[in-house]
Amino acid sequence: MNEQEILDRFEELEAGRILGDLDSNEIKEWEKLSADPRCKSDLSLELAAAALESEFLGSEETGLSKDLLGKLQEDMAGFVVPEEPQESEDNVIRPANWQTILAAPKTGWAIAALFALLLIAQSFIDKGPQEPKGLTTAEVETTSAKESRDTLISKASDLVKSDFGGLENYGEMSGTVVWSDELQEGYMSLTNLPANNPGTNQYQLWIVDPTRDEKPVDGGVFDIPSGDGTTIIPIRNPLVITDPKAFVITLEQPGGVVVSKQEVVVALAKAS
Amino acid sequence: MLRASVTDRLQDTSDDVILLQVAQGNERAMELCITKYGPLVWSIAKRHVQDHSSIEDVVQETFTDLWKSARRYNPDIATESTFVGLLARRRAIDYARRESRRPKLEPLPETESFLEPALESSAALRCQNEDVRSALKELPEETRHIFSLHFDKGMTHPEIVEQTGLPLGTVKTRLRRGLIDLRNTLRRLDSGQPSIPTT
Repeated sequence: MNEQEILDRFEELEAGRILGDLDSNEIKEWEKLSADPRCKSDLSLELAAAALESEFLGSEETGLSKDLLGKLQEDMAGFVVPEEPQESEDNVIRPANWQTILAAPKTGWAIAALFALLLIAQSFIDKGPQEPKGLTTAEVETTSAKESRDTLISKASDLVKSDFGGLENYGEMSGTVVWSDELQEGYMSLTNLPANNPGTNQYQLWIVDPTRDEKPVDGGVFDIPSGDGTTIIPIRNPLVITDPKAFVITLEQPGGVVVSKQEVVVALAKAS
Repeated sequence: MLRASVTDRLQDTSDDVILLQVAQGNERAMELCITKYGPLVWSIAKRHVQDHSSIEDVVQETFTDLWKSARRYNPDIATESTFVGLLARRRAIDYARRESRRPKLEPLPETESFLEPALESSAALRCQNEDVRSALKELPEETRHIFSLHFDKGMTHPEIVEQTGLPLGTVKTRLRRGLIDLRNTLRRLDSGQPSIPTT
């Protein structure tokens, strides 16, 4: 057999394997050919068979019995990732609260509403298995963060850069955020942000990425040490970010939260 | 424009978003998955195994497999229903083999070893139901008839031989060739290429 004939034969045997009609000689032939590097198996024939079977059977309306549904629920339980405790009704974020908090001239209503809506959605859907990751003061003070940021700026071809604007009591603060979707890496450079007492509260970054169809993504909990100067904070996103529209800093309880009560919104940076 | 939230999209069962949430251990997505695909899995199981208890076993095995495999689902390669159908079909065929319900046919090789190609984009076949119907129409009438007997009526090869009077070899060849042709047509439809007129 020439090469084309070998490939055609392998394809026919693959179809037979998927249809379940190989005889013993054909199984041996299939095993021999499948070891041939020229004969590459893929799922397309099996997907076609599944689609075909689904098409023929799709119109059959069959309800699963209560007993079977009960068994499926039991089996399912072993794979469910436990939800975080639901926020009480008093703690559910309401758009009006956000509109009040984010009414500063520098903020965009669209982003505020977007962030609020996404945070509301967050209370209704599962939380990922990841917990917010805290950064120690020592980490943010290291010069490696600055070096890493500079490296990112020099090598990222899709760098997003936005300026932070402080809100309400944080009007004096300023800063920038740089982010690369491709490298999934980003840094905040924050100036005049008051030092926090990690035992009392910590800053937390939220990333608004509507394309994820999920809630604002936790960008990490961080501390600002006392003293003057600019602090470089690496972004710690446990989930992939693909199109960030805004970066929001809130002040939260030590360790951060999964659902922000938006009691203290510190700063906002809109991605251009 | 803000796209619908995950919660909203989970309610929209026309989108292939359930398995992505199942992969994250979302309980509601799993419940939706059972509601949406339970009848399909049941039907596929029923076609391959006969008694009620065995069908239930296959359904259970399929959904357990689904909870484990959901993270492997790639919407660029197949629709959710095709992916679920593939798993159900594998479980059902494996079960039937274990129960030796088809003594005249040789067993399939272990299907677990065929999981890996699922990750390859070359296998992509994002066919919708209308694509399958279109592809079926392009097959010769005699092949469509045998497909109907096999996939719809659930007939075994010997039963098709008895029904049609065709030799076993011809039945096998038409089914195999028909599946390959159908796959090729679906690929063509997937890529948006025009149909090839038949003479």
